[in-house]
Amino acid sequence: MPHTLDRRRLLATAALGGVVGATGLGSLAPEAAFAAEAPAVEPGAPDPNFVEGRISKISGHLLLVTGSDTVLHSIRITSGTSIWKLHPTTFDQVAIGDGLYARGVRLPDGTLAADSVWVNIVNLHAHITSVGRNVLHLDHQGRRIVAHVVPGRSAAVYNGTPAVSDLSLLRVGRHVQVLGAWHPDTNEISIATVYAAA
Amino acid sequence: MIDTIAALQPPVLGAVLIWSARVKLFSRHAAAAAHRSALTRLIGQRRALPAYRLLGGVELTLGALLLLPPALRLEAAAATFLALGFLAYLTYARRAAPTSSCGCLSARQTPVSGRSLARAALLVTGAGLAWLIPGDWPGTLTARPLAGGVLLLVEAAAVVALSPELDAAWLLPLRRLRARLTHPLRGGSGLPLLATLQQVQLSDTYRRVAPLLRSDVREHWDDGDWRFVGHAALYQGRAVTAVFATPLADRDPDTVRVALVDDTTGHTLLALAGTPKPAGPQLDVVPA
Repeated sequence: MPHTLDRRRLLATAALGGVVGATGLGSLAPEAAFAAEAPAVEPGAPDPNFVEGRISKISGHLLLVTGSDTVLHSIRITSGTSIWKLHPTTFDQVAIGDGLYARGVRLPDGTLAADSVWVNIVNLHAHITSVGRNVLHLDHQGRRIVAHVVPGRSAAVYNGTPAVSDLSLLRVGRHVQVLGAWHPDTNEISIATVYAAA
Repeated sequence: MIDTIAALQPPVLGAVLIWSARVKLFSRHAAAAAHRSALTRLIGQRRALPAYRLLGGVELTLGALLLLPPALRLEAAAATFLALGFLAYLTYARRAAPTSSCGCLSARQTPVSGRSLARAALLVTGAGLAWLIPGDWPGTLTARPLAGGVLLLVEAAAVVALSPELDAAWLLPLRRLRARLTHPLRGGSGLPLLATLQQVQLSDTYRRVAPLLRSDVREHWDDGDWRFVGHAALYQGRAVTAVFATPLADRDPDTVRVALVDDTTGHTLLALAGTPKPAGPQLDVVPA
């Protein structure tokens, strides 16, 4: 923990300190503009730098993942990997049985060195059928989904305006898009963001 | 009592059948409803609409016969078989085409649910009763107006309650009212992380360093009046942390600052601050 605090103090000082080594755009190395290499993917072929599936085994920092097409993948979590599970979190929150989307770089041995991992992420278009205390009941193509509001985490975007944490403008019967974290093997999710008209 | 119940089934059945026929014959959305139903699976895309209309005609005829005296046993028998047909069709639709719409009492897209099946079973029971114990419904209603009226209301309410397609007319307004009275979602407070990320992503500083970022948000924390958001990034071949700082009180994208800090040495390799717009009136000129 002291290590984290020291690191954060260092990062905060760097961000709030004076402008360093930059006199505008020209200070960036010219190759920066091309740092994100164009993906060399054949049209229609699967993106080699993307993996989705459910975690079947965790050994050290290696995740064994079974894709929805039953293909097995191994994903390496590095010190630079971002992990999302309803919010940015740490590797110890990842569990066997979780679903995930991962993006990174394919290593020569076929392992994906992950840059970003989104655990249990779901993106649903649904109708609100009922509203309870910190819970939305959603109708998603005829199936019922229970969406939990997580105080302090869940946010709402109304009409494309900046996100707010007030979800009280949601109305029963209206259409919403929900980004959230699935609770594995249930029809329940926790809400990260709900997009709605108000 | 059972005689009264049996005698009052024809008007209920007739009303439900005519309501159902109304959708199939006169609704502007009948074609869409037919094509969303399991009929396309059962008899083919081309024949779905004619069959849907034909069914509507049968329902209208039988519904009118049931409502109008005299109450014939044959009508009740026909209604029983029709209701049994509905039950069989819905069971088939639920098994063979679970994503199809019911197309029963409304053109609204409604998947076949347990409630639709229960409604069909209720109709089978009612029609069966009327077939087994024939009676004269206007006579029964004039003889026992109170009991008969209550019975009709209860049965109509049961049909409505078992119709998912009619929920929008009564159930959703009730739930909306409850939400308005109890405010179950109130109490959200604080600045969500997404608001900060939206501010960061709209900023010029983010646009400058965006090609360097490798990861999504790795960590975020609040310190004093500032919120910090860290990403992993790659700068001149070195693994760095890109840390964005946004003031909690100011939502202007121009206030966003960023620093790239080397992960191994801890040196700041690059730090950028937003450039505020010059004060005073100005004209934004975009080169064409």
